[in-house]
Amino acid sequence: MNLVPGEPLLHAKSVSIQFGGLRALTDFNLEIHKGDLKGLIGPNGAGKTTAFNVLTGVYRPTSGDVFVSGNRINGRKPHQINRLGVARTFQNIRLFKELTAIDNVKVACLSESYSVVRRETLDRLERGTSALWFTNALHALNNYVDWWRALLLTPGFLREEAEVTKKAEGLLETMGLLHRRDEEARNLPYGEQRRLEIARALATNPKVLLLDEPAAGMNTREKADLMVLIRELREKFSLGILVIEHDMKLVMGICEHITVLDHGETIAAGGPAEVRTNPKVIEAYLGESFAAAHAAAAGSGA
Amino acid sequence: MESVAAPRFSGVPGWLRGPLPILLSLPILALAQWATAQAPFLVYIASIVGVNVILAVSLNIVNGMTGQFSIGHAGFMAVGAYIAGKFSLETKDVYLPFMQSVAASDQLMFVFALLLGGAVAAVFGFLVGLPSLRLKGDYLAIVTLGFGEIIRVIVQNTEMFGRALGLSGIPQRSSIFMVMFWVFLTILAARRIASSAHGRSLLAIREDEIAAEAMGVNTTAYKVRAFVISAFFAGVAGGLFAHFVGIINPGSFTFVKSMEIVVMIVAGGLGSTTGSIVAAVFLTLLPEALRSIFTQLGGGDQTLAQRVDQIRMPIYGMLLVALMLLRPQGLFGTKEIWDVAPKWLSRRRKGMR
Amino acid sequence: MNDLIQHLINGLAAGTIYALVALGYTMVYGVLKLINFAHGDVMMVGVYMGYATAGHLGREHQSTFLGATLVFLLSMAGCGLLGFLIERLAYRPLRDKSRLTSLITAIGISFTLSYGFQLDIGFLPGASPRAFPEIIKPHEWIVIGDHDVIIWNWQVISFLIAILLMLGLQILVFRTRFGRAMRAVSFDHRIAALMGIPVDRVIAFTFMLGSALAAGAGILYAIKDTAVQPLMGLYVGLKAFVAAVIGGIGHVPGAVAGAILLGLTEEFVVGYAGDVLRGLGAVLHLDSLGVGFTGSSWRDAVAFGFLIIVLLVRPEGIFGRVTAEKV
Repeated sequence: MNLVPGEPLLHAKSVSIQFGGLRALTDFNLEIHKGDLKGLIGPNGAGKTTAFNVLTGVYRPTSGDVFVSGNRINGRKPHQINRLGVARTFQNIRLFKELTAIDNVKVACLSESYSVVRRETLDRLERGTSALWFTNALHALNNYVDWWRALLLTPGFLREEAEVTKKAEGLLETMGLLHRRDEEARNLPYGEQRRLEIARALATNPKVLLLDEPAAGMNTREKADLMVLIRELREKFSLGILVIEHDMKLVMGICEHITVLDHGETIAAGGPAEVRTNPKVIEAYLGESFAAAHAAAAGSGA
Repeated sequence: MESVAAPRFSGVPGWLRGPLPILLSLPILALAQWATAQAPFLVYIASIVGVNVILAVSLNIVNGMTGQFSIGHAGFMAVGAYIAGKFSLETKDVYLPFMQSVAASDQLMFVFALLLGGAVAAVFGFLVGLPSLRLKGDYLAIVTLGFGEIIRVIVQNTEMFGRALGLSGIPQRSSIFMVMFWVFLTILAARRIASSAHGRSLLAIREDEIAAEAMGVNTTAYKVRAFVISAFFAGVAGGLFAHFVGIINPGSFTFVKSMEIVVMIVAGGLGSTTGSIVAAVFLTLLPEALRSIFTQLGGGDQTLAQRVDQIRMPIYGMLLVALMLLRPQGLFGTKEIWDVAPKWLSRRRKGMR
Repeated sequence: MNDLIQHLINGLAAGTIYALVALGYTMVYGVLKLINFAHGDVMMVGVYMGYATAGHLGREHQSTFLGATLVFLLSMAGCGLLGFLIERLAYRPLRDKSRLTSLITAIGISFTLSYGFQLDIGFLPGASPRAFPEIIKPHEWIVIGDHDVIIWNWQVISFLIAILLMLGLQILVFRTRFGRAMRAVSFDHRIAALMGIPVDRVIAFTFMLGSALAAGAGILYAIKDTAVQPLMGLYVGLKAFVAAVIGGIGHVPGAVAGAILLGLTEEFVVGYAGDVLRGLGAVLHLDSLGVGFTGSSWRDAVAFGFLIIVLLVRPEGIFGRVTAEKV
């Protein structure tokens, strides 16, 4: 899949995180390239969501580094990391409940219009310098001018608003939600809320999409649809995707590479077939005795 | 949350859309000014209502749209009132030679005083907004309350601001035109913010701060900006207040004043600009109306009318509790009046069918 | 030096009273995660109850040991009842709503009480301050030097009462079945309910306990201040709240430590800030602005300044733990 060799879009290098005495994640490694579709699995409390939170800047790693397109992002704020091209969904759906579906997506269509300092310039500066205060000030300057444009309703502002609306409608259509355009997010059925979250994440123009249990609470049919959809999104938006999922069938079905966590440690990594037969994985999921029985059964069968 | 680009003004060229409502408002305001020229009491009441509307709409930007909870709004009002009032006192006799008349020069100085008061209040808004980077909900509420009290203590101990006696003899340059113009500007700004990308970011912070941050919204910066804008308008409201009452003292800007504004926006529905306006108008006029009714009833006896002010406060308190128990979303919830009205109609229509 | 000791004693005496009020905030926050804004006003109501009781007892009986005890007990019981009613009628229906709803309700109750008591209709006392009866006849207990350091009897008595009440609370929370239930509710009231703990009753009792403590503290405060007025609850309440936050809200010994720290800081600001500010003012030429330099007028700003600094530097308080929101 790695058609474009070189810098991974998202790269975790022996990341560990510790809360007090609890090691929530130990020596976690991961590379996501353009076009990758990887899975992150593990029993409850294995540290999957913690890994997401480190990758998106909610937590700062205790040791190790996270890179986004070659930029070290340790200690950067989630919104800065998002701007670098990493978007996510949440396990326990975090939509803006009282906003309409379209406004949910519009929030994520970047609010900064780069009217003073252009985005490319800022990106280049951000990559080249460690003086984040400087680029932050430039962002603030952009934003300050933006407020005035909004207050004065300048033609440029109106044009941007129209563009944002169009973009948001396009994303709703892609996710099959256009008929829900003006409904409040909290009134959507569960499955549609999950899809709206994905639409919202896509609105930030990500290079990497992190999906936290996108199929949770869905029925078999919805899950099948979701599998197709995730593959389509990867092609359409040329994304790298990382999925946390409990449903083995779904993960094995779509992911080309799977990392298995247990108690914060990576116990296996590789292709679906490889992971499926890994005794450590079976043990972590089903317990020691079952693993032994499984091994025996596999032995006698061979 | 209707987009501004909706075809409401579709026939208007782009460059005119921004200033058009302001241009349209000017003749109406001038008319109002002319019509009320002989009714000083009406002007006084309208000015109080206007100041309260500005305060409520501006506080709603922080408490309603952004979901922070500030209960020290009177502090910003005080800053604006004292700065603008002091400025006008000091420059009472200054005449700008390029203006045609003394009155015109005074009005220009007045506008400058208001902007100055608003700007200084905005700086304080920035300072108070900073804790909101780290604090949420109850804690932030207490900090804003503390800020309001600290402002009061500082003013009370400063000779320049007349200590407990306050400032008096502030030139009464306010007019119904000026007050209503600022009311209009405040509402326009609040509405335009609400329907822009910035407003959506503020609403997103109210709904879910973590998700907003994950979607690229610089939540910390936005929260501070909400405070700055809100404080600016509160400062202007203070400046207007100082210039139509002529006398200000620390007693005008206590916790009670802050609470009055909080009651207004909670009653109107946190997040609803029109709700804030309706509640501010109603809750300002109600005690005035009661006062005049009691004065009529009691004949020469003023005690009943004086009671109104006393009774108002505990009633506000009970109103808050009752609202939270019975209708926590207030009058309109987070919606605007035009979002709510058709819904009532359509529901009724459904019922008839 | 003597000056210093005197300030230390006064600060300690004020601090222990704040501590008693702060405990109410911390306990209620512990079980409900609610800042009971009305706590200070409940305290004020308690002081008026004490005032009324002492009035009924008359001048000769009120300052006897029995009379003073009766004043304390009656107002504590009355406040307990008030706390119970407030919880039952206003907070319980809102328990599962957003925290903002409860906060606004609490502000509303605070407002109703503090301004309701300023009316002079019916039994309500009116806005003007009244002299609190001398249920403890003040006399100088220990005098060092030529009245350089004075320790009043009421300072010692209130210190002892405060310590006694705190010890009782500590035993209740950590040594009894009820305390265990309280701690369970504080940990997670939904799970506690599943474990068969009568959550409603625990919360109601916590409110009553906190309110009763506040009444006791209020009377001690009134003895120190020699006056009652309807707004006293607002200010004492806020300071106690600040103390609770400084110590780490929800943390019982923390609240006590925070309160004593605040009491001492206030006392020292009043005692010495005048000098410091005057010195600073001379250097910065602040006198041209006419900023006043008497320490006592800045007393009310101290608590808030302190609070803001603590919240900015260490929002979880001195003893509090960081609780990260689960993502």
